[in-house]
Amino acid sequence: MHKKNAKRRLEVVFIPALFFIGLLLVVEAIVFLLNIPEYLFPRPTRVFLDIISSFNSLMWHTSITMAEAVAGYIVGNILGFVTAVIFAHYKTIERGFYPYAIALKTTPIIAIAPLLVLWFGTDVGSKIAASAIICFFPILVNTVKGLKNIDDVALDLFRSLSATRWHIFTKLRLPNALPYIFSALRISTGLAVVGAIVGEFVGANKGIGYVILISTYHLETVRMFAAISMVAFGGVLFFLLVSFIEKKVLFWQKSQSPD
Amino acid sequence: MEQVVTVSNITKFYGQCHVLDSISFHVRQGEFVSVVGPSGCGKTTLLKMIGGLAYPSKGDVYINGMSATTAREKGKIGFVFQSPVLLPWRNALKNVELPLEIADFKNPQEISKRLLKVVGLDKFENSYPNELSGGMQQRVAIARALTSDPSLLLMDEPFGALDELTRDHMNLELLRIWKEEKTMISAVIFVTHSIPEAVFLSDKIIVMSERPASLKGIVRVNLPRPRHTKMKYSKKYNKLIECIRKMLKED
Repeated sequence: MHKKNAKRRLEVVFIPALFFIGLLLVVEAIVFLLNIPEYLFPRPTRVFLDIISSFNSLMWHTSITMAEAVAGYIVGNILGFVTAVIFAHYKTIERGFYPYAIALKTTPIIAIAPLLVLWFGTDVGSKIAASAIICFFPILVNTVKGLKNIDDVALDLFRSLSATRWHIFTKLRLPNALPYIFSALRISTGLAVVGAIVGEFVGANKGIGYVILISTYHLETVRMFAAISMVAFGGVLFFLLVSFIEKKVLFWQKSQSPD
Repeated sequence: MEQVVTVSNITKFYGQCHVLDSISFHVRQGEFVSVVGPSGCGKTTLLKMIGGLAYPSKGDVYINGMSATTAREKGKIGFVFQSPVLLPWRNALKNVELPLEIADFKNPQEISKRLLKVVGLDKFENSYPNELSGGMQQRVAIARALTSDPSLLLMDEPFGALDELTRDHMNLELLRIWKEEKTMISAVIFVTHSIPEAVFLSDKIIVMSERPASLKGIVRVNLPRPRHTKMKYSKKYNKLIECIRKMLKED
């Protein structure tokens, strides 16, 4: 058992890490050999050194962006979940609102972002709102699907036990929806970061989106790559954290939840 | 003898579709009754109406003098379905406790542990459904159906998905639980599409026709109890099977 775990860790952690380092070395070599100018594509070592030298400042901006993303993620997912529960229980409300929910979904977040800055200001509020809006749909769609996708026989069982609606919800529909819910939670980790950065692009004086924008103006491509690397790392950590919680909660599922 | 179930003139329409046509029979205390008939003839619908999960368009069902719905609400009816319908996030013990939780019972553990023992799964209390075989899962479902101390057990092809050996074994187990264990069950209604299974288990077999299903006949099975596997080689047993098969074939 122990041996197996060690082997799995090797496969999951070390192999991707080795490939990553290998890839960086190849990029380093190509950039060096082809003599690509730094403002177009900096060498990985230069980016790495920049991260080290300005770590505190980069970390500060990254944590602001991640905090906005996580806050928006929580707000969006709670609102989406509550809406889904209402939709699943009241067909008329679902029929009435669903088309508009879809319409809002198909509107790109970047188109709404300036409006959000107008409403919520240039501080963190507008970024949280952008993240929340972008996280709202995956959880809404998946939760509705999970709450409704119940076996007829299971419903017969609960009816044979004279169960109330509340019993059916807490003991059958909700646990049944959990794999769908976690699937949405996993997908929207990345979306939440997108929302926060889009919000920062439109108007901000801090956060990783702001750093990226400023470094574009000054053609500081090294700084831009450093910023992108930091926020990518933050996004991956967020994703892994949610995946870890998912595995703990959905212990009865052998394979990954439906997407 | 007292009648546990009275079915009188049940007719069922689903929209334009005529499913059941004035079916009447009764089940007495201590009787094991099977329902056989061509697939899709409405056996399950009939069972659901006896259990208060569906309602006849015409006719009445009484369980111990109560309406089917009242009997269900009072926990007088235990259901075992075609599939075990265990909740995958609950272990065997917790699955058996489900009806007790819904009924707001104070000490569910005591009852669920005893019932898992009755069905021979006391060593698997903490196993999850995906760790149990098909036969074991159906045993958990039987234990769950016994939690409310029902007087009537309704079973809808419970062993249909099992292989033949397991099925034979489960048949013997079912008879053991019914006759030897201390339960309140006074009668069983068992839907199956296997004629030999029906003959082996029952005192009385209700034979249904094609849709719209009406009663083709009621066959008494006067094989001695307790039933043994050896009986399957007896003349009487095989004659009964042949007789029911003929009933089903004629138009």
